[in-house]
Amino acid sequence: MTTTNDNAGTDRKIVTFSLAQQTFGIDMRALIEIREWDEPTPLPNVPGFIKGVTNLRGNVIPVVGLAERLGWEPSAIHARSCVLVVNIAGKQAGFLVDEVNDIVAIGETEIQPAPEVETIEPSVIAGLVRIATRQKDGTRDEKGTMVLLLDLDALSLTKHLDLAA
Amino acid sequence: MSDELDEIQAIFFEECAEGLVTAEQGLSAMQAGDVSAEVIAGVFRAVHSIKGGAGAFGHADLTAFAHKFENVLDEVRGGKIPPSPGVVKVMLSAFDILTDHVESAKGLAPRPADEAALAALEQVLANKGADDGAPAASAPAPAAPVVAEAPAAPAAEEADEYGFVPMAVSLDDFDAPAEAPAAADAAWIVTFKPSRAALANAGEPLLIIRELETLGAEIVAVDTETVPPLRDLDPEDAYFTWTLRVPGEIAEGDINDCFDFVAPDSLVQVRRDEAPAPAAAPVVEAPAADTGADEFGFVPVSAPIEDFAAEMQRVVETIAAASPPIGSVETPSIAPKAGGDAAQQTIRVDLGKLDLLLNLVGELVIRNSILADRLSPADRQRVELPELARLTRQIQDNVMSLRAQPIKQAFSRVPRMLRDLSVETGKTINLETYGETTEVDKGVIEKIGDPLTHMIRNAADHGLESAEERIAAGKDPAGTIKLSAEQRGARIFVRVQDNGRGINRERVKAKAIEKGIISADAVLSNEEIDQLICAPGFSTAETISNISGRGVGMDVVRSNVEALGGRVEIHSVPGEGTTFTMILPLTLAILDGMIVRLAGQRFVLPLAHVLETVQPEPGQVKRTSPDSEVIDMRGEYVPVKRATEIFGLNDDRAVEDSLVVIVESEAHGKVGLVVDTIDDRREVVIKSLDQNLHPIRGLGGATILGDGSIALILDIEALVASTNRYTPKGMAA
Repeated sequence: MTTTNDNAGTDRKIVTFSLAQQTFGIDMRALIEIREWDEPTPLPNVPGFIKGVTNLRGNVIPVVGLAERLGWEPSAIHARSCVLVVNIAGKQAGFLVDEVNDIVAIGETEIQPAPEVETIEPSVIAGLVRIATRQKDGTRDEKGTMVLLLDLDALSLTKHLDLAA
Repeated sequence: MSDELDEIQAIFFEECAEGLVTAEQGLSAMQAGDVSAEVIAGVFRAVHSIKGGAGAFGHADLTAFAHKFENVLDEVRGGKIPPSPGVVKVMLSAFDILTDHVESAKGLAPRPADEAALAALEQVLANKGADDGAPAASAPAPAAPVVAEAPAAPAAEEADEYGFVPMAVSLDDFDAPAEAPAAADAAWIVTFKPSRAALANAGEPLLIIRELETLGAEIVAVDTETVPPLRDLDPEDAYFTWTLRVPGEIAEGDINDCFDFVAPDSLVQVRRDEAPAPAAAPVVEAPAADTGADEFGFVPVSAPIEDFAAEMQRVVETIAAASPPIGSVETPSIAPKAGGDAAQQTIRVDLGKLDLLLNLVGELVIRNSILADRLSPADRQRVELPELARLTRQIQDNVMSLRAQPIKQAFSRVPRMLRDLSVETGKTINLETYGETTEVDKGVIEKIGDPLTHMIRNAADHGLESAEERIAAGKDPAGTIKLSAEQRGARIFVRVQDNGRGINRERVKAKAIEKGIISADAVLSNEEIDQLICAPGFSTAETISNISGRGVGMDVVRSNVEALGGRVEIHSVPGEGTTFTMILPLTLAILDGMIVRLAGQRFVLPLAHVLETVQPEPGQVKRTSPDSEVIDMRGEYVPVKRATEIFGLNDDRAVEDSLVVIVESEAHGKVGLVVDTIDDRREVVIKSLDQNLHPIRGLGGATILGDGSIALILDIEALVASTNRYTPKGMAA
């Protein structure tokens, strides 16, 4: 396997974003849109990480505090906070993230499996991938950054219902 | 291409489903005594179309079975077999097997054991229905092979212990006729030239030729003379003419059946091969003889079209004259058919499109009320706005009615189920249905299927006693299950009522204690004991039967119905029977609501529940315990609930600064809900939370207000129930 970034095959595109000082990525195909943060309508009787529901062009979609969902400290809302609206198994949900960084193409072969770590639930990290990041001055940072690829299906808000059924 | 075929096949299965519904309705009507020609013809047509489609898609088993069934129906239709109760019973059983065959063709079920049903059909055919009460097919008995070893006794003999009657079967049907041709009639010569229209309608000639080949046909000639040079070739036109030889002993009708679904302007000729020699000669006979085929072998068909045009002309003139001469000579010949078809005229619409339309209309209604709000009172009264509101309302009603379907669709599977249950349990069960035409939103119909199945199974298995028990109790040995639907206000009541033994409360309670669902010293009212049936993991069946008894059934009923915003009521009288009632919302789409604020957040309160609102005077609301309050309503003490507490919202507002909305709930009567203020009253479009999330207890959904923000819709029943310490999943506490 002597593939380099150039000929590894750009199998998929991912959107990278920051959350709790880490860089995460989700598959571009699942992304519907990126919205500015807008305080959602809170819901009663739901887990704390579900911040509420918001109106996406006539659809009522839940907004999830992704940091809390992943077990990090809740995100502080600031000017660059935004909501990634994604499609998970036909259902739409918004994820609050600290900042959207970039869209990068990665090869399927570059993805390493996430190491086994002790977690309270099956891992929501589908894999790890190293990407070269763009610096503010436009040059590439050769050292690169590790991106945690999220397994969106594992983040489904109705997973517990599917399992119960 | 295969996608296309799948799509066409999907349409075929949709048509099958419709055909089966039609057939079952017809057969049920026949069972009830309506044996009019129209009903029989309706069933025949349904089975016939299933057969035709099945043949085209190569579902041989389905085709074969439908064919046999169709033969019997044809005889009944032709008056050769009387539609006696025994015959209808056989046909109903055959219908069940046909349904299974369709499922099997879809790949959803294994091939059903149809031998018993086929034998019963054969028997009806052989006896011309004379042997009336023949019970042969009513039980899916071990499929006794029907063999032809019995000496061919033409008349009906005594039925053997399985209820089978020996019958004559032609051995020719089983073995290729070795000496037959010699004795038989001259072979058939079939000439077939599909028309352009046949190709356009996906009348694939290959399938027809294959079907003919199953009858023993051989292609003797293909006339390719008419194929034009490549540059003139129209790929959508048909050019070939096939000549086939079919063995003489095949009935002409069977050959013609192969062409059932070919566009009528195709050339199809079937004739005896009188002079065997020039079989291959292109045959252009009767119609072509006087009109002459053109160079492509097309036979002008102007005559029938003119006839048709003339007919149409007459009809149009009749209508134009606005006089209804129903008695005129031409009209009756087309009227019955046209009338019958007109009633059934439908187009298929993707449900998604309807939902979108409904959403848009909902938005339109909302914009309308916002517009009204923005206008000055004087402008609001001008004619345009009320007119617009009226039109919008009409559009809305119409769109809603598009989604409304008679509940018959959900009920239609019940008769079949009961027939099966009757066999499995050995109980005779009569079914009575009422209110089948009640119209309910399609979404509701789809979702009550499972609960209904569980309720019926429960009634048949647990509710009704065995015949012996019933006789001992002085009841009619046949049990009765009543299935009814009715609309009351904005709710639909669906009842399953049996006249069985009723709920044995002692046993239910003992079982619940045993299963740890309630504590041993719990004191429960009769109603509460009845409700235990719906608790998760509860089942009283002594033995686990395959009908019910896994202890999930009634739990599923309750959770499904609650997910729809409805609830289940159980009413039981020992010795007289049990009634299960599903109370469901009529529509899932639009709601008349009151916009209220709870701890500053806007919520929608369904107006249908609201009785009145009061601004409490000091001292009007009193505590009866540290966490319960009542309000004095003109001497009547009504419990008061703070929705903010249920939802865990911060609210330190004094009750005197709030409003109390008195709501009427189905289950708990009057209850007062404390709210901050009332903002508005308007129609809202219900957006379900489970579309992108999951149902949330206490909420009936959400809606989008005029400013684009979201307000949550309160589910009064659930809120009020929580006043009474209702735990979400049964009596676990």
